[in-house]
Amino acid sequence: MSEGLPLVRCSGAARTYGKGPTATVALQATYCEVFAGQRIGLVGPSGSGKSTLLHLMAGLDDPTVGDVSWPAIGTRDELRPGRVAVIFQGPSLLPPLTVLENTSLPLVIGGMTDKDAREVAHTALRTLDLDVLADKLPEEISGGQAQRVAVARALAGEPTLILADEPTGQLDRASGAAVVEVLLGASEHAGSALLISTHDMTVAERLPERWEMHSGEIQTDTREAQWSR
Amino acid sequence: MVALSWLRGLVTHRPTRPLATALGVAVGVALIASIGTFLSSTNSKMTHRAIARVSIDWQVEAQPGASPADLLSKVSTFPGVTRALAVQFAGSPSFTATTQGSTQTTGAARVLGLPAGYATAFPGELRLLSGSLSGVLVAQQTASNLHVVPGSTVTIARPGTTPTNVTVAGVVDLPYADSLFQHVGAPPGAQAQAPPDNVLLLPQSTFNQVEAPILAKRPELIKTQIHASLSHALANSPSAAFDDVVSRARNLESRLTGTGLVGDNLGTALDTARQDALYAQILFLFLGVPGAILAGLVTALIASAGADRRRRDSALLRTRGASTRTLVRIALAETVFAGVIGVLAGLGAALLIGKSSFGTASFGAGTVSAVLWALGAAIVGLLIAAGSIALPALRDARSLTVAGQRRQIGRTARGPLWARYGLDFIFLAIAGFIYWQASQNGYQLVLAPEGVAQVSVNWYALLAPVLGWIGAGLLVYRLADLVLSRGRIPLTGALRPLAGELAPTVASTMSRQRRLLSRAVALVALTAAFAGSTSVFNSTYRAQAEADARLSNGADVAVTESPGASVGVAQGIAQLKQIRGVGSVEPLQHRYAYIGADLQDLFGVRPGTITTAGKLQNGWFQGGSAADLMKIIAKDPSAILVSAETVKDYQLHRGDTLNLRLQNGQTKQLTTVPFHYEGVAKEFPTAPKDSFFVANQSYVAAKTGSDAVGSFLVQTDGTNPAVVAKRISSVVGSSAAVTDIVNQRVVVGSNLTAVELSGLTRIELGFALVLAAAATGLALGLGFQERRRTFAIASALGARSRQLGGFVWGESAFVTGGGLVLGAVMAGVLSITLVHVLTGVFDPPPDALSIPWGYLIGVGGAVIATVLLAGIITLRALRRPAIEELRDL
Ligand SMILES: Nc1ncnc2c1ncn2[C@@H]1O[C@H](COP(=O)(O)OP(=O)(O)OP(=O)(O)O)[C@@H](O)[C@H]1O
Ligand SMILES: [Mg+2]
Repeated sequence: MSEGLPLVRCSGAARTYGKGPTATVALQATYCEVFAGQRIGLVGPSGSGKSTLLHLMAGLDDPTVGDVSWPAIGTRDELRPGRVAVIFQGPSLLPPLTVLENTSLPLVIGGMTDKDAREVAHTALRTLDLDVLADKLPEEISGGQAQRVAVARALAGEPTLILADEPTGQLDRASGAAVVEVLLGASEHAGSALLISTHDMTVAERLPERWEMHSGEIQTDTREAQWSR
Repeated sequence: MVALSWLRGLVTHRPTRPLATALGVAVGVALIASIGTFLSSTNSKMTHRAIARVSIDWQVEAQPGASPADLLSKVSTFPGVTRALAVQFAGSPSFTATTQGSTQTTGAARVLGLPAGYATAFPGELRLLSGSLSGVLVAQQTASNLHVVPGSTVTIARPGTTPTNVTVAGVVDLPYADSLFQHVGAPPGAQAQAPPDNVLLLPQSTFNQVEAPILAKRPELIKTQIHASLSHALANSPSAAFDDVVSRARNLESRLTGTGLVGDNLGTALDTARQDALYAQILFLFLGVPGAILAGLVTALIASAGADRRRRDSALLRTRGASTRTLVRIALAETVFAGVIGVLAGLGAALLIGKSSFGTASFGAGTVSAVLWALGAAIVGLLIAAGSIALPALRDARSLTVAGQRRQIGRTARGPLWARYGLDFIFLAIAGFIYWQASQNGYQLVLAPEGVAQVSVNWYALLAPVLGWIGAGLLVYRLADLVLSRGRIPLTGALRPLAGELAPTVASTMSRQRRLLSRAVALVALTAAFAGSTSVFNSTYRAQAEADARLSNGADVAVTESPGASVGVAQGIAQLKQIRGVGSVEPLQHRYAYIGADLQDLFGVRPGTITTAGKLQNGWFQGGSAADLMKIIAKDPSAILVSAETVKDYQLHRGDTLNLRLQNGQTKQLTTVPFHYEGVAKEFPTAPKDSFFVANQSYVAAKTGSDAVGSFLVQTDGTNPAVVAKRISSVVGSSAAVTDIVNQRVVVGSNLTAVELSGLTRIELGFALVLAAAATGLALGLGFQERRRTFAIASALGARSRQLGGFVWGESAFVTGGGLVLGAVMAGVLSITLVHVLTGVFDPPPDALSIPWGYLIGVGGAVIATVLLAGIITLRALRRPAIEELRDL
């Protein structure tokens, strides 16, 4: 599995929110690596630190202790746009932009011309059967649809590392399964790594690897068990 | 209780919102209260100036048959009269004096008998030029006519008896000669054109001796006037003081039962002052009210930038079981909090401003009006707070649906109601119509028909600028909205330099927030227009006040030769040029010319130099610019400029010959001199307000055999004109009257100089600057703050600072650029309208607007600086992606 350099490596990365007596340890010192082609389900109860870990891996947040690095990619500045895509747990579409504009935005940011970006974005939306919504504003579509648009937006840039935070949280089982299929297909097609955090065991079961989190800690034994299988 | 704990939470965790609102409230309150202070100080200043401009408050003239002693006692015991003295007036066929072998004789003259203590009782009435005040005094012009000095003997001719001699003790100037020699009881139109030239003022006892034979034979030739001073404890408001003085004068007349008529000099002065006061109030309306409205709008905009968050808060409270009533109460608590803090801060600021600018801390002319002003300002402040916080909250509380939360952004298919009905166009059309209509009759705002006690304001005509202002603001909104909705392609093109490939995206973002942005553009335009028009009006007003004083004085210093003197051009210039502080000396001939039976003043000019030396303005002439007309006079020496009235009366056409009769300098005979009518002069330095001629000096000199100069217009080299005037005075002595522009400003006291605008405009300009900067910087900054989340997402998607800058600077440029450009256009139109509408304060109307570039560049700079600051702060905050923002919801 572990050929070449890891896409992301956490070396004792921990995250504490707040200071003093009210401080919350969201993530304990964590050591983990994700390599190209790995497909991982990150499961754990609410508040166990899944989102926190994802944000650290995405370079959107800094660990209070320890380090996060991206040996196969480079510095934090090189993660985006393009290499690392994040699908946020909450609504993350830009309210004043249409579905199509939202989807093409990271591509334009990455330097593509507006016209090309729209074409690529259209293809990505079609993969998720969202092309009919292309001209709608975020406020005009449902929460589930918005979440799928966020998935399409993440995939449009063909990233090497996809970090999806509860991408099926607001979806019914069938469309959730479809989204997971699309994510798996995309990662397989591009050989990219995929990390999906979820509560939903049926989602987790679709993924070859599973990391379980509890009170800010990845249960290493589950990871070992997986690997030995 | 919920409301209070919510408020406490708000103040401790998110104080920006109520404090920003309070700040807006404070600005509005301070502005209104300062205007109150301004009005109160102007009003009392105007009253005091009017009083100071009068030397003898009342001249009560004894009617035939009345006993002077009885009249004196009645007047001096009349309530409010502090001092009353009887002055006697007699006539004389002529005065004669012989000095150094030559004998001079005057025409008809006046002899006055002054009681002891007159000079101290009415200070300013007699200005001693040489000699001493105790004894026989001779008026300056008379002294000059007779070539007498203190110590000389003057012979007074007496009707029906032998002449008698008196010895001159002093030469005096009579600054108030006009009112001193008024025809008491006659209407203003029936007064003498000019006061008498030949006047002797005798002590009472001398007068009695001199006039004894006449008193015995023809007592009706001697008139008695009681000169009275009133207690000056008058109301601060000129109009109240006027009413008071006039009714007292009437009261006195009725008590005198026909034995005396009151010449109410004080009342006349206060009458002018109350018209000026009314103008001051209108100026306040024009310059102050838009400022207060803008303060309200800016506050509302600032508050509305927090509206999304407020809605989210309310929705949250709702889901936790808060009732509509609770929500309303919370909104009211916040309103009261922001309102009270704002009102207190605003009143405090107004006190400081009043103290430093006007030296008064009272908001009104009296205690009652002070309380009313403070109360009014406070109410406006609370209204601003209510309109900014309570009103939107109330609206939301009633319809707190998800749709309600989606207002700021969206497709908003239909424009606002006013736009659909074209209210902007309707307003502008009505404004245009009223403006046109009112222009037809010269835009008379303050109606003061002669002989009517009531002064009134033509409120209808005021509607034009008001509606124009509102209409223009709405039109700017419409235009901005149009560009954002229909002009996506050009907008994208314009944004490309700032946003690069992201330009279409930025354009879309802006287009979907066009309500917010159009509102910001309209507000920036309105504040820019406010700052622009106020400052242009102010500097035009100042320039015109200067021109007015210059017009009446002629130049920095005017040296007017006595009519008898015959000072030649070269001689006069040589004498004046060597005085320290004198820059240029321009001779101005003054003659009397008969046109038919009419006598008019004629001014002979040197056409080559008068345009600059007399600082001639184009507005003073018709038929060409000042320079054009002077060129004509230079080329054709017989060319003449006449008044419009003369053109009408004599049916003149350009080129017509005009024969005037002028006195020959040698023969003293009237000779006919032919001129050609070539243009109209409405105003001219030192010229009277009515009809006069302007002609070529050398032509007049050649035709009349005399180059005697009437007056010299002296411009200083930068030295204070008053100082130079003193120096000149000591050189020329009593042979010429020397006046300077500094004192002239006070003495003339026309509308212009009476309404002290500088205080108001200083406040205005300060507020305009603050408002313009706040409107743009704060509105943009707070808007960005509200959309932190949007920026955070873009940043999480990989947008670099430069790209986020595309969004921030794109919006900033649109709002600032659009607002400033449209605002400048509005300011231009508004300034022209204002100057036109307030034409009554301009006399004569200005040639062109004076544009205070320094201030305007300052305002533009302040606006751009705050915009840059807002943008930089926003981008700085985004440098690290705000993960908290993404965690929300
Ligand atoms: N900004 C914050 N300030 C303080 N505590 C925080 C903050 N964000 C998260 N936490 C705390 O950190 C812990 C981990 O949160 P995190 O969002 O990572 O959990 P999660 O596993 O993603 O939960 P869920 O499945 O509900 O999304 C929680 O206890 C949470 O309360
Ligand atoms: Mg989470």
